[in-house]
Amino acid sequence: MPELGRAALLVTLGLSLYALVAGSAAAQLGRRRLARSAQNALVASFGATAVAAAVLLSALLRNDFSFEYVARTTSKALPTAYTISAFWGGQEGSLLLWLLVLTGFGAAAVTLNRSWARDLIVWVVPVFAAISTFFAFLVVAVASPFATQPAPLDGAGMTPSLQNPYMLVHPPLLYLGYVGLSVPFAFAIGALLSGRLDERWLVATRRWTLFAWAALGIGQLLGSHWAYVEVGWGGYYAWDPVENAALMPWLAATAFLHSVMIQEKRGMLKVWNVLLVIIAFSLSLFGTFLTRSGVVNSIHSFTQSSIGPWFLAFIALVVIVSLALVFWRVRQLRSPTKLESPVSREAAFLYNNLLLLALCLAILWGVVYPMLSEAVRGEAVVLGRSYYDFFLRAFGLPLLLLMGIGPLIAWRRASLRSLATTFRWPTLVAVLAGVVLLLLGAGSSIPGLVAYTFSTFVLATIVLEFARGTRARKALGATSWPGAFTSLVSRNRRRYGGYVVHAAIVLLAIGIAGSSAFDSVAEAKLTKGDSMRIGDYTLVYRSLSERSGPNATEIRATLDVRRGNRDLGTLKAGKNAYTIEQQVSNEVGIRSDRLTGEDLFVIAEQIDPDGSVYFRVFVKPLVNLIWLAGLVFLLGSVITLWPDRREQRRLVARASEVGIPATH
Amino acid sequence: MIALSVAAVLAVFLLYTSIAGGGNPSLAPSELDGRSGTVQLAGVVVGPIAGDAHAGGLRFELRDIGGAKATAVPVRYSGSVPDLFKAGRHIVIDGELRQGTFVAQPGSMITKCPSKYAPKRRGDSA
Repeated sequence: MPELGRAALLVTLGLSLYALVAGSAAAQLGRRRLARSAQNALVASFGATAVAAAVLLSALLRNDFSFEYVARTTSKALPTAYTISAFWGGQEGSLLLWLLVLTGFGAAAVTLNRSWARDLIVWVVPVFAAISTFFAFLVVAVASPFATQPAPLDGAGMTPSLQNPYMLVHPPLLYLGYVGLSVPFAFAIGALLSGRLDERWLVATRRWTLFAWAALGIGQLLGSHWAYVEVGWGGYYAWDPVENAALMPWLAATAFLHSVMIQEKRGMLKVWNVLLVIIAFSLSLFGTFLTRSGVVNSIHSFTQSSIGPWFLAFIALVVIVSLALVFWRVRQLRSPTKLESPVSREAAFLYNNLLLLALCLAILWGVVYPMLSEAVRGEAVVLGRSYYDFFLRAFGLPLLLLMGIGPLIAWRRASLRSLATTFRWPTLVAVLAGVVLLLLGAGSSIPGLVAYTFSTFVLATIVLEFARGTRARKALGATSWPGAFTSLVSRNRRRYGGYVVHAAIVLLAIGIAGSSAFDSVAEAKLTKGDSMRIGDYTLVYRSLSERSGPNATEIRATLDVRRGNRDLGTLKAGKNAYTIEQQVSNEVGIRSDRLTGEDLFVIAEQIDPDGSVYFRVFVKPLVNLIWLAGLVFLLGSVITLWPDRREQRRLVARASEVGIPATH
Repeated sequence: MIALSVAAVLAVFLLYTSIAGGGNPSLAPSELDGRSGTVQLAGVVVGPIAGDAHAGGLRFELRDIGGAKATAVPVRYSGSVPDLFKAGRHIVIDGELRQGTFVAQPGSMITKCPSKYAPKRRGDSA
């Protein structure tokens, strides 16, 4: 079996190399049959990788510990679902998953677009092939998932905090996002190589970018929720390098999704868009590298990682070659239109882009700073939470405000009068909300108050947009209000889906501000019968129980919860002791208030032999809005991603209007 | 226009660095000797682990990751203890050296999640 896996990966490597060499030659010399053959090789490489993936999956399911990978990441007692998730639990398996998704996406994107953008596709194929050659080389020569050993009796098992349903979805979603960004990248580079710098590469990849971006966004929120309910330290985001690894490409992709609209409508920002795609893809490679190399701790651990140097070299190659190509084509990318006024939709989108990119680079700087300072000063200096929080406020709050302004402000040049009519009501509502919140005591955190005021402003603009649009549809002859609303959204999915996503980001901002700026914490050591208070909650520690689960001993403390005079029932918090892995994990107790979105969050930090427990309790207002934001974000993404024949026809028609330049 | 915006962004950076300064230096236990002020210490936990994290503090020692140097620094820590904490694990704590003992800031301990980072290679003790 391992031989089959190894052989399949060798085939993938061979096919990728062939697609790279033959594809480049075909594109350069204009050989159509050779180009077709290179495309077929790319599709076939997906098949070969799928065979390798099937071999690994079956080894995991059969508990075949003669595979080093299987023995290191699973054990016999591990439930089947987590045995499957072990596929991406280790380095070799996740690289194989990368390769699988990459070849799959490459094959699909090339096949779907080859009829209407042939001259572009011939150059896209070798770009995909180059990326998959690199990953195939890694899993063949550097980090093979098919290394064998004399089978031990049982495997080493999986870290308890990863034995969680979230780990079935969260990592694959992030990989779909990371790898998905390779599609716009390959098309952008293909466009640069071929010199076909019209908007077709944007049209061909818009949905791919949206999909990758949505997967990254939802994957991250799932990761945060996992951290919140499972890791059990009372937070959901710690600015850990591994978390930042996913946030950075998401921010760059967000900037790209916005600036694309400016290129489509006004023909501006062409160089900028290509650069954003390059940045987003490089950051997704960097993200994979961060999560998989251990380089963040210290550059000393760099040498311990087998794939680290290869990855860094590949990222450097990608960045250098891409930038050289942009430089080579920069004259053709020049835009004939200029920015007419700093107060216009174009300008608002430009500010949005600069802020997103600035936030992204600030985070990148924070992530690489320990390595840079160690290299320069011989001493790693770590930038803490306050660094990231500062920049989240400095760049995030203006971004929030722009989210209300950007979609509504006039194109080209906005006059003072048009600004007044557009923004009169939202501004009024926001100022009113700010004053009311100030009176209610929200002034304890100025950034929190500003975030709430801006959020109200954006929500008001969104509501206003939906209301205006629906009224217009009704006036145009829609029979009912719901009918008018549906036809409004379905006729303009991109725009109204976008508003829904904006609403999700507002909910996210309110949730983050509420749970971080206005939270409270209390801790106490309680013996049975003792009680503690936090805010208007009273908790009484009642009993301690112990029972044996399938692979862990579960200890739980039961608490009675009261709020004011109202009895809210009981809450359990405790620890699981995992037998094989010899680890303990916190199992927190959370009580969510459905009405206010507030959480009471109980950690049993330390359980003493005499039955007394050291509790740490948080009250987090509005934190559930963050998870609600995830659902709204998903809804908005689905609306924008939903296939739209009308739009597709329009875009294809426009592309054929642009025409395929008559060379070759 | 773009230049102006870029300048504004740079100004925010400068503002931050001038107000808040850089972060804390991150050191290995063997580099700690003679250092004053708050630093971040990264090392491998050496047992025995004694004491109570919520009463008087937990006591253990930290040695260099990689283990080339044998020096271990005694540590006193109080506050939340992450799930993964035990002898042999890599941890990071903030604090300062006081009379030969590294006194950690309460609640500053972070354990490095072993599976999200590269798997340990053979010969690495952790």
